[in-house]
Amino acid sequence: MKAKRLMNSISGFALPVLFGVVIAALWQTEVLHSWMGTDTITLPLPTRIGEIISSNWDTIMGHVKITVTVALGGLMFGSILGYGIAIIATVFSKWGAGGLTIVSAFNAIPLVALAPVINNWTRDLSGDVSVRSTIAKILVVTISCTAAMSVNAFRGLTELKPFSEDLMKSYAAKRITVFTKLRLPNSIPYIFTALRVSVPASVIGALVTEYFAEETVGVGRQIRENIVKGQYPTAWAYIAIACAIGIIMYVILMIAEKLILKRRKSRG
Amino acid sequence: MKQTKRKTLLAAVAAILVCAQLTACGGTTAATTTAAATTTAAETTTAGGESADTTAEATDAPEAAGMMSNEEIIKAAAADGKVGNWGLGNEYEIQALLTKYELPTDYITMDFTMDQFDSDSVTLASAMTYNELGLVKNSYDGGYGYGDTVGIIDMNDEGVAMLEDNLFCSKAFAEQNPNTVKAFVSASMKGWAYACANPEEAAEIVFEAGSSVSADHQAYMASEVAKLVTTDMNGNSVSAEKVGNMDEEAMQQTLDLAKKYIILEDAAAKDKLAAMTLDDIRSTAYMTYDPETDGAPEKTAVSVQLKWLPQAQFMGYYVAKAKGYYDEVGLDVTIVSGGGDISETTAVYNGTVDFGVTWVSNLINANAGGMELLEVAQVYQRSGLVLVYKNDLFKK
Repeated sequence: MKAKRLMNSISGFALPVLFGVVIAALWQTEVLHSWMGTDTITLPLPTRIGEIISSNWDTIMGHVKITVTVALGGLMFGSILGYGIAIIATVFSKWGAGGLTIVSAFNAIPLVALAPVINNWTRDLSGDVSVRSTIAKILVVTISCTAAMSVNAFRGLTELKPFSEDLMKSYAAKRITVFTKLRLPNSIPYIFTALRVSVPASVIGALVTEYFAEETVGVGRQIRENIVKGQYPTAWAYIAIACAIGIIMYVILMIAEKLILKRRKSRG
Repeated sequence: MKQTKRKTLLAAVAAILVCAQLTACGGTTAATTTAAATTTAAETTTAGGESADTTAEATDAPEAAGMMSNEEIIKAAAADGKVGNWGLGNEYEIQALLTKYELPTDYITMDFTMDQFDSDSVTLASAMTYNELGLVKNSYDGGYGYGDTVGIIDMNDEGVAMLEDNLFCSKAFAEQNPNTVKAFVSASMKGWAYACANPEEAAEIVFEAGSSVSADHQAYMASEVAKLVTTDMNGNSVSAEKVGNMDEEAMQQTLDLAKKYIILEDAAAKDKLAAMTLDDIRSTAYMTYDPETDGAPEKTAVSVQLKWLPQAQFMGYYVAKAKGYYDEVGLDVTIVSGGGDISETTAVYNGTVDFGVTWVSNLINANAGGMELLEVAQVYQRSGLVLVYKNDLFKK
């Protein structure tokens, strides 16, 4: 049993790492370049990317801060909004599911279409370009994170354990009690399901919306500027940083999920 | 202001000022060819007349006469954080201008419309004389119709001009196919010379080739582009035989400004930029082609990547193709339009296309990044970039 678990953790952790190491080795030795028919300017070596990151650490972190602020801000507002919509849909169950379809439809609008439109809307919000630009970016990410939360949270709030709702009714529990004691706790795992979708979505949303922002800042914007200017090594440095942001945020989510759901299980 | 006489007088003063401004901004000074000079004079007269009417109606002539100086306008707009540019390598001249007046080099990113200018979220907006400025001033389809209520700050006059549209290929391509390059350059420049002499016809040719803008705007663009090709940074005219000439002084000014304002995070690229000389980015060896002595082109089917959508900005190539100049030198040319984030330097570098049209600063940037690109002709002889502002926002 113990050996099996060990094997599982090895295959779950060591194999992906090994894969990464092999790719990095092929990349560094330019084998990857010959396979893909490219060169070290378009696809710079990992060591060169690393050099650029380390020698520009402060500048890069400045951009990271901006991108993460937008991603987290949008994620937070989008999730709260999504959960709110799910609650409303649960309370007004007759048209709740239909309303959620509309929210999902909103989510289907491509970011590239949404970002310029929202930029135009927010143009008069503030005289300070960094304020209105940040608001515009957070709004885009908010919209891209709302649907996942509302759809999943709605399931969590409505798909209860068989008979549990009847049991509550037999206790003559009020609707509000059913909500706080039964529906709310039942929705917690679904919140994490939603976050697994919307955390990466928030990072992608933040990167893409920077392309259209009025301010020339953020990791995504630096990728675009450097590619158009032909500065591929620098662009790759920012691409690597963008990947790191996504991975780190996802890992934090996984750890939080494990801790919170574990506590729930042991309590229950 | 209550006295009609005084009003008329002031309106006249305003009209004269507008005239002076228009002549200065048009890029065509007295030294240009007779035909162009006549057109400018005619334009000026009409524009002046119109503006006199407008100012008289608006009864704000005293303020119109009291415009801020360029320096005051730039400082006021920068203090509000309302200087706009598109970024993506188009920002260096603006940054040089801001630095000239000891201002921070921040700017608002403009999208590819002039809506931000229209709504005053950008009060000093970047515009190309041949494109955005026409849309701002004119009232044809897609235009904003500001007429002469807007003023401009010209990069050439401010001494921060950098050369823009050129013709380039990779160094390797030029070495392997010298005759192809020579043939393409000479036929293209023949197309440019014809287009500049006949901008109306050139505009029609471009429009028929799949224009991205209206016929009216295309005609406007052709006439403005002709000015950039046939006038140098100092306002002197460039003869038809010298179309595509790489003026040493203008090239050097471009490289010097590029070294100052291109900010690179990559240390290797930074060193390369610091050490760069004109010989690293251009060659004048391909300007003339004689099939008798040079021989036939090595590669006959070639493509050229434009920097932007099909429009009169690139009329020389469309004219050369339509007039059969490429056929004359034995070339089959495909014109590939650009737009948005298509990087012409990358397209030429990785061999997707053979030739490209880019700004000299973009080529410098790309070569600093390790691409071995070579400018083979300099089509625009002066900067087409201006900052446009609404007169009534910058009165004393």
